[in-house]
Amino acid sequence: MSNALPVVDKKFEPKDFKSDLKPIWCPGCGDFGVLQSLYRALAAIGRPAHEIAFVSGIGCSSRIPGYTTAYGFNTVHGRALPIAQGIKIANPSLLVLCAGGDGDGFSIGGGHVAHAVRRNIDLTYIVMDNQIYGLTKGQLSPTSPRGLKTVTSSLGSLEDPVNPLLYVLGYGASFVAQGTAADLPGLAAIIEEGIRFPGFAFINVQSPCVTYGEDEWQIKEQRARMKSLESLGHDPKDQLHAMDLARAYGKELYTGVFYRNPAPSPTYDQLVLERQKEKGASAPDPARVLDSLIQR
Amino acid sequence: MTTTRGIDFAHLSLKDALDLAVLVEEEAQERYDEFTHQMKTHDTPEAASFFAFMSRNEKKHGDELRARRLELFGDAPRSVERAMIFDIEAPDYDQARAFMSARQALTAALASETKAHAFFVAALPAIQDPKVKALFAELRDEEIEHQKLVQAELAKLPPSEDLGDAFADEPVAH
Repeated sequence: MSNALPVVDKKFEPKDFKSDLKPIWCPGCGDFGVLQSLYRALAAIGRPAHEIAFVSGIGCSSRIPGYTTAYGFNTVHGRALPIAQGIKIANPSLLVLCAGGDGDGFSIGGGHVAHAVRRNIDLTYIVMDNQIYGLTKGQLSPTSPRGLKTVTSSLGSLEDPVNPLLYVLGYGASFVAQGTAADLPGLAAIIEEGIRFPGFAFINVQSPCVTYGEDEWQIKEQRARMKSLESLGHDPKDQLHAMDLARAYGKELYTGVFYRNPAPSPTYDQLVLERQKEKGASAPDPARVLDSLIQR
Repeated sequence: MTTTRGIDFAHLSLKDALDLAVLVEEEAQERYDEFTHQMKTHDTPEAASFFAFMSRNEKKHGDELRARRLELFGDAPRSVERAMIFDIEAPDYDQARAFMSARQALTAALASETKAHAFFVAALPAIQDPKVKALFAELRDEEIEHQKLVQAELAKLPPSEDLGDAFADEPVAH
C-alpha cells in the first residue's frame, strides 16, 4: 500500500502559505529564497495550511515556520526531528515538515537524524546549510570546511566537515536531494518531490549566510558553479552512484535528487496504524499505559 | 534568475498574456515590498524609500494591465498562474544588502528592469498571435523606458558613496 500524497485538484496560490509575519533575516540571506520555494512547493502540493505541521529547531533558518500559515512549532535546539516524528505518529494525516540549519541538524541534533532515517517516518526534513553559526555571529559549524577562520577558529579549523548527504545516505535514507537558493524554481521542484515521497525525505539546501559566510559561498558564486545531477546523467535509483556523487560535497555543488528508493519500505507511521488495527480492542488503553509503567 | 515553467508562448492568448503581465508586475511589487521591509528593519532608510517607490510603480503598471484585461475579458477565469513565473521583473534576493546605499538600490532596480526586458525579447520570437506579439513588444519597450527612468535617478546621485559589504557587522578573527 502506498501512502504517497494524492494530487489534489484544489488550486492554491503560494501567497496562501505566506503568514503576516515578515522575515527578519539579513537582506541577501539565502533563506528568503528557500521560503519562496517552499511557498511554491506547498501551493503545488495542494493541501490546505491547517493540514500542515511545520517544526523547526533554533537558529536563523529555524524561524521559517512562523513565516508560513501552517501550524508551526519553533522547538528547542536540535530537537526538531523528535518532535516532528511525534506529531506525525500522533496525527498521521498531517503533512509534516521539519527544518533547521546545519548546526541544529548535524551538531546539536545530530544524533536524531540517524533514527529519523531508520524509522522512515513520513516527513520532509529541510536543512538550510550555510556552513556557519550565523545567529550567534559566526562560529564554526559542523559543515564548516577545514581551514575556515571564524571567531572560534581564528587560526583555521582543524576539523573535516560533516557531509550531510553522505551521512543520511549511509544510514539508508530513501530520499536524498540537494538544492540551492541560487536556483529557486529547481529548489521548489525538489521540495515538492520530497514532500510527495512516501517516507523520510532529506533535502540539503545550500543557503548562504550573507553576513558571516565566505564570498565564494554566496548566491552569485553558487549560480556560477552549480551542476544539476540530471545534466550529469545521474539515475536517482542508483544508490551507489549517489554515494559517490555525494562524496563531492564541499567541492562540487550538485543539485537535484541523489537517491530516490524505487521501492520504499512501509513508513513507521503506516506500520503503527496497521498494528493498531491488528490489535483492535485488545490494545491497551493509551490512558493506562503510563500508569502501568509507573507501577513497575 | 528569470525562469518560466509550463508557458507555451506559441499558443498564448491575449487574455493569458495580459494575466501573465499582471502576475509579473505583482511579483515585482511584492519583492519590492519585501525589500522595503528588509531595509527598514536594518536601518537603511534611503534604500527603503527607493524600494517603496519602485513598489508603487509596479502596482501602477499592474493596475493598468488589470484594467485592460477586465475591459477586454471581464472576469473570465485565469488559466496562467503565479507558479509559472519566477523572478521575471522582481529583483533577485541576493541584490539586497543591509546598509546598501541609494546607488546600490538603484543599481539593483536597473538590473531587474534589464532582466524583464530580456524576458520579453526572448519570448517574442515564439509568439504567433499578432495581438499578443504587439502586447509583448509594448511591454518590452516599456522596460526600456523604466531603465531610462532609473538611469536618470542614478545620474542625480553624487559619485559612488558605496561602503560595500565591509560595512556590515562581520566577525573578526583574533
